[in-house]
Amino acid sequence: MSEIDSLKSELESLQADALQAFSAADNLNDLQKLRVQYLGKKGALTEVLKGVGKLAPTDRPMIGQHVNKTKSALAAALDSTEADLAVKAKAARIEAERVDVTLPGRSKGKGALHPVQHGLDEITAIFSQMGFVVAEGPEIEDEFHNFDALNIPAEHPARAMHDTFFVKQMADQPMLLRTHTSPVQIRAMKRFLAEGGEPPLAVVAPGRVYRCDYDVTHSPMFHQVEVFKVDRDVSMAHLKGVLKHFLSTYFEKEVEIRLRPHYFPFTEPSAEVDIGCVFCAGKGCRICKGSGWIEVLGSGMIHPKVLESVGIDSEEFSGFAFGLGVERLVMLKQGIPDLRLFFENDVRFLSRMGVSK
Amino acid sequence: MKIPFSWLKDHVALTATPSQIAEDLVRLGHEVEAVEMPRAAVIGVRVGQIESKQPHPDADKLSLLKVNIGEAELVDIVCGASNMGEGDKVPVATIGTSLPNGLTIKKGKIRGAVSYGMCCSEVELGLAEDSAGLLILPVDAPIGAEVGDYLELEEAVFDLSITPNRGDCMNVRGIARDLAADAGLALAAIELGEIAINQAINAPDVAVAAEKDCPAYLARSITGIKVADSPAWMQARLIQAGQRPVNGVVDVLNTIMLDLGQPMHAFDADALDGDIVVRSAVGGEAFSALDGRELTLNTDDLLVTDSSSVIALAGIMGSAPSGVSESTTNIVLESAFFRPARISETRRVYAMVSEASMRFERGVDPAMVEVAMQRATAMIIDLFGGSASEITQCGDADKINAERSVKASVSRIQSRLGIDIPVSVDDVLVRMGFAVTRDGDKLAMTVPSFRHDISIPEDISEEYARVIGFDEIPELLPSLATTAPAMPDRSVHDAVAAGFLQVINYAFISASEQRLFVAADDLDIELENPISDAMSVMRRSVWPGLLNTARYNLNRQQSGVSLVEQGRVYYKTAAAHQESNVIAWLMSGEVEQDEWFDAARKADFFDLKGAVEAWLTLRGLTGRFIADDSIQGLQAGQSAKILVGRAEAGRIGRVDGDIASALDMDAPVYVAEINLDLLSAGKKTKFAPLPEFPGVERDLVFLFERGVSSDAILNAVKSAAGKLLIGARIFDLYDGKGVPEGFVSLGIRFALQDAKRTLTQEDSDAASQSIIAAMDKKFGATLRG
Ligand SMILES: [Zn+2]
Repeated sequence: MSEIDSLKSELESLQADALQAFSAADNLNDLQKLRVQYLGKKGALTEVLKGVGKLAPTDRPMIGQHVNKTKSALAAALDSTEADLAVKAKAARIEAERVDVTLPGRSKGKGALHPVQHGLDEITAIFSQMGFVVAEGPEIEDEFHNFDALNIPAEHPARAMHDTFFVKQMADQPMLLRTHTSPVQIRAMKRFLAEGGEPPLAVVAPGRVYRCDYDVTHSPMFHQVEVFKVDRDVSMAHLKGVLKHFLSTYFEKEVEIRLRPHYFPFTEPSAEVDIGCVFCAGKGCRICKGSGWIEVLGSGMIHPKVLESVGIDSEEFSGFAFGLGVERLVMLKQGIPDLRLFFENDVRFLSRMGVSK
Repeated sequence: MKIPFSWLKDHVALTATPSQIAEDLVRLGHEVEAVEMPRAAVIGVRVGQIESKQPHPDADKLSLLKVNIGEAELVDIVCGASNMGEGDKVPVATIGTSLPNGLTIKKGKIRGAVSYGMCCSEVELGLAEDSAGLLILPVDAPIGAEVGDYLELEEAVFDLSITPNRGDCMNVRGIARDLAADAGLALAAIELGEIAINQAINAPDVAVAAEKDCPAYLARSITGIKVADSPAWMQARLIQAGQRPVNGVVDVLNTIMLDLGQPMHAFDADALDGDIVVRSAVGGEAFSALDGRELTLNTDDLLVTDSSSVIALAGIMGSAPSGVSESTTNIVLESAFFRPARISETRRVYAMVSEASMRFERGVDPAMVEVAMQRATAMIIDLFGGSASEITQCGDADKINAERSVKASVSRIQSRLGIDIPVSVDDVLVRMGFAVTRDGDKLAMTVPSFRHDISIPEDISEEYARVIGFDEIPELLPSLATTAPAMPDRSVHDAVAAGFLQVINYAFISASEQRLFVAADDLDIELENPISDAMSVMRRSVWPGLLNTARYNLNRQQSGVSLVEQGRVYYKTAAAHQESNVIAWLMSGEVEQDEWFDAARKADFFDLKGAVEAWLTLRGLTGRFIADDSIQGLQAGQSAKILVGRAEAGRIGRVDGDIASALDMDAPVYVAEINLDLLSAGKKTKFAPLPEFPGVERDLVFLFERGVSSDAILNAVKSAAGKLLIGARIFDLYDGKGVPEGFVSLGIRFALQDAKRTLTQEDSDAASQSIIAAMDKKFGATLRG
């Protein structure tokens, strides 16, 4: 066998060995080692090239071609094997990293707003968007703001109906827990006038109120929102318009409203406001006691004596006012049957009926 | 007030159905609580006579009755009432009867004794809200008859809620007047009856020494009567109207009061000593009221007296000794007008409400004072015999509330109501007793004497509105000035977003709960009339409420709670009182439950501190937590005050173990509270360019003696590291194996950065050296490993 033939066969067997080794490689690391082993500076192919020097110069180009052919064949095989291995490796990694996406995610405990808070927020926001300004007042009030200025003099029967909590003597006058948010009407009007304001004045006043009454349907503390507007030519039609807009927005559907003449010392005329029963669409059910109507709040045109008690000319200006019970509206909207649930603060109730923010 | 339909028809010939009438009443401003059908509701309830009454052998309060209901056999009934005796006739609900309260009568065994029915009170028959024992029927009630038939229970009874301004409608005639006017029907005349005056009988001697409080007082003697039960029809009416028959005379007066609205009183003439004087109390006088109470009277109370004692608290209640009984033969009848405010005040002071006081304090119709007297006299003589004296009259009822007129402007009423008020409506008002004259825009109205509630144009406006109907008023949205709404308070919302459940507790707590977290009671605001001791003091901390809520829920299988509450706290100040708006948190038990990725973990101080810090960050604020071992109710060593800016705005810590274990709370309880009124507006972050050159970060681990605060360490790091320092924090804390007793290993990670260049190894080495030196010098801390 000539030198050249022997080199040729050497190259052929090298290529065959290499290709077999490549295909046997099952990871990129091994393959990289094989690359070095065959194509590296000190690799097998370089060793073969060393034998080229012994050849006749005329034979060298031919064997050179063979070497190059072998080299590129090996390189190509390496590249394709590498690509295969990379695909396999990725597939294996993906398999290894597979998770059960139906397991629950990591999360902190879920908070929730108290349903009464959410109701207050919703109610206040509706009036706020209509241009009513939010106001607050003290919960421990004097008799002037809670009663007298609202045209409820001491001997008035309506005063007794308020089931007032009195506070043990602490100032120079008797103090009480406000029985309604109406005193904020007086305070807001006085502050507004003192700051040089002149009607129109439109206020929404949310807050806690207290009545000395505790049973299945009464809580000694509950929440009210007082709403009033004073301007020239404010009429009962405006009162009805605002009520209709508010109640329809709050209950997220067009509700029928009905005003019934009633009596409140601080409004004249006064009206109780009913809405068409939201449970039976007015057909009559247990909740509305078959009447198709549910009483939701008290309202009226601000009594001239109330306007005058703060120094607003009742000839020139008029106003409407109403006060609504937040718990009652929330109970109606969310179908909560029992007032006591609100203040029991059972977290199962709060998580379920409260609103996450 | 309950009004049987048939009674209304005595005054006006109504043809509408009860439900139509109910709708009219509502429109006119009389709230209809219910239209009851009492007759249909008590079918199966029969008149029974108690033949025998034995005590139950095994129960003190029960009796074994044998009752004759007109059948062959007596009926055995076990009864819990005590006001009945052998021979009494009572309503008996037989087996199978369904009562208005939903109860269906079945054969039952009570403490071993079999009962075949139930004896009823007015409550079970649906005739009254409460009662004192069984309803005892008149002796002539036919045994076995249906009680509904016998009592002639009405097919419809209106249960009305009369507003306090409409005293004139606290009687059947007042309601009938409104309905008649509205329907255009005539109101029947009142039948006075014939009275033969016996001149031989002396009219009572009466003097009124308090004319302002008592502008009219009529009295008359009736002698020789024989008091018997009132007739069945009258008893039936009283029962249907929710009242209990007492005796013949009282029943007549109550019937007239319900009918005409004029409360009257009858004194036993033989119990009186000398002349009747109506006067103000002098103070300290004693009064034995008919309801059994013994009162010491105040100055200004209006009294009816004789020569030796107080015989009535005027308009409210008579005295026990002067009351009329079955054995009374001579009476003095009183019919008067008392000043409403006077009655209201006295009634309030003694918390003494009567049917009479409710009417007097709302104002009765002056025109009825004499009418009622005549009517009562005629009925009493007709039913119980006797003869009447002339009337002694003090004052003049005709002058009370006479000829009051209100002027109003038609256009102003229309502008306030938002509707026109047509002239045709004037007729309705005239039928309601007003005189109306219109002259262009000018409206003048004369108000009837019984309408105490009408004095200003707005009152007139309401009269028009209710006659026309509020439904006729259109719904108009007013033009509203657009103002930028203020940013709503997000305090509690942010805490909720961080995983806390919002709770709302009562603002009053018990005094002992108050003392848990506030030592001294000098600033407590107490209630004069609390619901109970548990709700008697205005809270000065929200924590007691949160603790109760936590306990309530941890006792109900909750493994952990994270609660937040926002509300006010209340305390006295030198000038008056203060209400502060606070937010408070509570964490206890598991904050992380067992999960597939991690084991359960109970809340500790840093869970809550982290929540408070995050909450402050959301408002652009930072808090400094200063260890404070002296916070009432918190455990020393795990409690801190929270400084925000210069204000001591809050407190945080672990609830004292004794407090928690007294509440049976096993897991540590952490609470925090921040006074929202003390928080300043947070800093608005200004823009700063992002750094262009990378910074370096280095870790140093030191051995510190235990007790050095990390706050102090980091402050020292900050001042030592130089101006390149952009941050430093504790990244590791270890006191286990390898750390000597009394020491703790703390890892500090700090970062340096320069806006103008890339930092080098030399920069971080220099900073490290300064820090190491500072830690050694300030704390004697040595670098570890
Ligand atoms: Zn309904």
